[in-house]
Amino acid sequence: MDNVLEVKDLATYFFMHDYIIRAVDGVDFTLGRGETLGIVGESGCGKSITSMSMMRLVPDPPGRIISGEISLKGRDILKISDDEMRKVRGNEISMIFQEPMTSLNPVFTIGFQISEVLRLHRDIGKQDAITEAARLLRMVGMSDPEERVNEYPFQLSGGLRQRAMIAIAMACEPTVMIADEPTTALDVTIQAQILRLMRQLKETKDTSIAFITHDLAVIASFTDRVMVMYAGVAVETSTVHEIFKNPLHPYTQGLLGSVPVLGDRKVNADGSRKLLNAIPGSLPDARRFPRGCRFAPRCPKAMKKCWEAEPATVEVAPGHQVRCFLHHDEVRVISKRDLGAAGKRVLKNQQKNSGKKKSSADGSKTDTPTARN
Amino acid sequence: MSSKTETLIDIRGLKKTFPVKASVFSSKSIPLKAVDGVNVQIKKGETLGLVGESGCGKTTVGRCVLRLYEPDRGRVWLDPDPAVVAEVEQFDLEYEQLQSQLDDVIASGRVRGAGQKTRELRNQIRKNRNIARRKAMQQDILSMGRDQMHKMRRNVQMVFQDPWASLNPQMVVSDIIGEGPHTYGTHKGARLNKWVMELLDKVGLPRNAANRYPHEFSGGQRQRIGIARALALTPKLIVCDEPVSALDVSVQAQIVNLLISLQDDFELAYLFIAHDLSVVQYISDRVAVMYLGKIVELGTGEQLYNNPRHPYTISLLGSIPVADPEIKTQERILEGDVPSPVNPPKGCTFHPRCPNRIESCSQIIPLLEKSRDGHVIACHNPPNG
Ligand SMILES: Nc1ncnc2c1ncn2[C@@H]1O[C@H](COP(=O)(O)OP(=O)(O)OP(=O)(O)O)[C@@H](O)[C@H]1O
Ligand SMILES: Nc1ncnc2c1ncn2[C@@H]1O[C@H](COP(=O)(O)OP(=O)(O)OP(=O)(O)O)[C@@H](O)[C@H]1O
Ligand code: SF4
Ligand code: SF4
Ligand SMILES: [Mg+2]
Ligand SMILES: [Mg+2]
Repeated sequence: MDNVLEVKDLATYFFMHDYIIRAVDGVDFTLGRGETLGIVGESGCGKSITSMSMMRLVPDPPGRIISGEISLKGRDILKISDDEMRKVRGNEISMIFQEPMTSLNPVFTIGFQISEVLRLHRDIGKQDAITEAARLLRMVGMSDPEERVNEYPFQLSGGLRQRAMIAIAMACEPTVMIADEPTTALDVTIQAQILRLMRQLKETKDTSIAFITHDLAVIASFTDRVMVMYAGVAVETSTVHEIFKNPLHPYTQGLLGSVPVLGDRKVNADGSRKLLNAIPGSLPDARRFPRGCRFAPRCPKAMKKCWEAEPATVEVAPGHQVRCFLHHDEVRVISKRDLGAAGKRVLKNQQKNSGKKKSSADGSKTDTPTARN
Repeated sequence: MSSKTETLIDIRGLKKTFPVKASVFSSKSIPLKAVDGVNVQIKKGETLGLVGESGCGKTTVGRCVLRLYEPDRGRVWLDPDPAVVAEVEQFDLEYEQLQSQLDDVIASGRVRGAGQKTRELRNQIRKNRNIARRKAMQQDILSMGRDQMHKMRRNVQMVFQDPWASLNPQMVVSDIIGEGPHTYGTHKGARLNKWVMELLDKVGLPRNAANRYPHEFSGGQRQRIGIARALALTPKLIVCDEPVSALDVSVQAQIVNLLISLQDDFELAYLFIAHDLSVVQYISDRVAVMYLGKIVELGTGEQLYNNPRHPYTISLLGSIPVADPEIKTQERILEGDVPSPVNPPKGCTFHPRCPNRIESCSQIIPLLEKSRDGHVIACHNPPNG
């Protein structure tokens, strides 16, 4: 499978007044043609900021992509101009959000919004664009699309709005589609309809999808490969089969043990109630991560060295990467990468600078040598 | 838990409508049937799960049980004495008859003696209602007066979905948890303090949490505070309205575990409301499935999962993706949206989406009846007989 998207050592920070939020702190992944990559992790672990970085839509200030490379069909989209990026967005790479109401414009009809996207990227007349919009709405399973084009977002149910969003995202048949929790706000029966629709589209158009969710069951049923994120970093990446059958990172293992499986037995052999394998504690504060492994405070297998240094990401089997000292066993390691180094440089600089001009009123404008833009 | 056979809560004929505007432009209001005749019991120490899609009336049922909403109709018996329930039921039956007689008289229009008859019936109805109310008011939450309500609140508590909004931001944790015991005078002074510490231990919060404010805590920790507050009066029932829906999976598991362990310590019953069937099935002894204000299926978690009988339950189960990449079945996908409760379909409200519908489905409302293996469903034509 040839890769249409390669993300290397991506780091996106938020430079707040007196602290830095390391939202994404060294993330590496690839996306093959027609492949679906699931991105999972707890709230605040950096899933949305990863996808917004790919769209170059991180609010700046305070956010900034401080390092990395995002090559879309061989071109680094972090290096192109804003104008060029506007052409890429919606055309080669598009995005669906969790709450369609916030991304659809409430004062324009559905048809107008779709036709605008079409007219921006294609040489197509107003009337043709509306006809095309109706065709797209039919494709995403809306009945009476010729009438729907004249409706406003608030007139549609949650499921129909999400279909309209998908129609907009698919309008130009993008190479890559990013779906950020596209079904989280929907009921299960509507979620099933939307997932089936996305599956059909991906099969007919060969679209590559980055699918963000915190629902492991959706991941299992919908994706080919999975990246598990924790506190701004990818802790494990592999095929969906490997992740579920042979999870290596203690966090992945914990996550899988936390969800009740429908039909699970609820009592132990001795008659007592069975408890879930909950991970104790919660996600660390993105302002000050623990010194060593970010999962160490919650990890049942933490060792002394876990508290002292961050583990590097190692490839233990082809396509199976883990970021954990338990798997730094040299015999098995295929490759080893120290991600997030750029971030460390930025932080060091920041500390030096803030030491120099302590009483400076504008802490957020601190210069960072590796920063882009 | 030997007490699991005794009825703690008996909900009968519960109905609640909300007035909603007929359209954006009109000032006329029409009734929205949020809960439309719910009957269900919760036994002592039992967990009853309530599932269904958004807007089907789960929260409304939970809130009616505590009278946070005032229902239109029905009874919610707390620790009921069967003799009283039977007696009141007779009065309710008589009331229904009187009411329909009255409707007939009114419908027949201005015939001779109609005015007299109407007055008589109205009188009888008023009497009937007064007696029924007096007989029911010690046990039926919906008939209770102020004093009985005050007593009842000790036994029935609630945990809310939104741990961000449900705690007073201006109170420190020890005051939030201690408020109930203070008001009811169950614990005072040093003993109250000790009790709050004990509760903090029970829900897995550090003791130094006592002097801090809610905003200093994460979502999971706030939900623990909410649970400690609900426990403080050692109630018999806690209504949990989506207590884990807003939480991350790992924290969700912590709270589910906490609720399970507390149940054994405190002999608690839960009405556990959620839309996530796997969580509900895991925590509940029995599960009720709701659709458009009505219970359509009720059975043990195992019955529902292994042998769902109602077409809606079957579709619901079929819609849920399985956390196993080997299993990629998602075959029984329901088409269409949930219809509006303002204008629900006639007959069985599920009929427009039902793959099993027969002619009578759009005419006759199906009633809850025992199915072959003992759980109850409301359906004219369940699959496989
Ligand atoms: N505009 C912003 N300003 C400052 N910090 C931000 C901003 N947006 C996000 N963050 C921070 O970046 C981190 C990652 O956030 P992100 O939205 O990517 O999380 P997520 O994994 O998508 O979580 P969720 O599951 O809740 O959507 C969080 O710590 C968040 O607080
Ligand atoms: N205060 C209110 N005023 C008007 N309508 C209401 C009110 N509360 C609820 N409703 C309506 O009653 C119906 C049932 O609502 P309810 O909140 O009980 O549903 P639910 O099953 O808890 O849904 P969810 O899963 O979204 O919480 C819905 O159609 C809702 O819009
Ligand atoms: S590096 Fe150490 S603390 Fe981190 S996940 Fe591995 S074993 Fe646990
Ligand atoms: S009563 Fe009829 S429409 Fe309703 S669920 Fe049963 S078969 Fe379907
Ligand atoms: Mg997000
Ligand atoms: Mg609700």
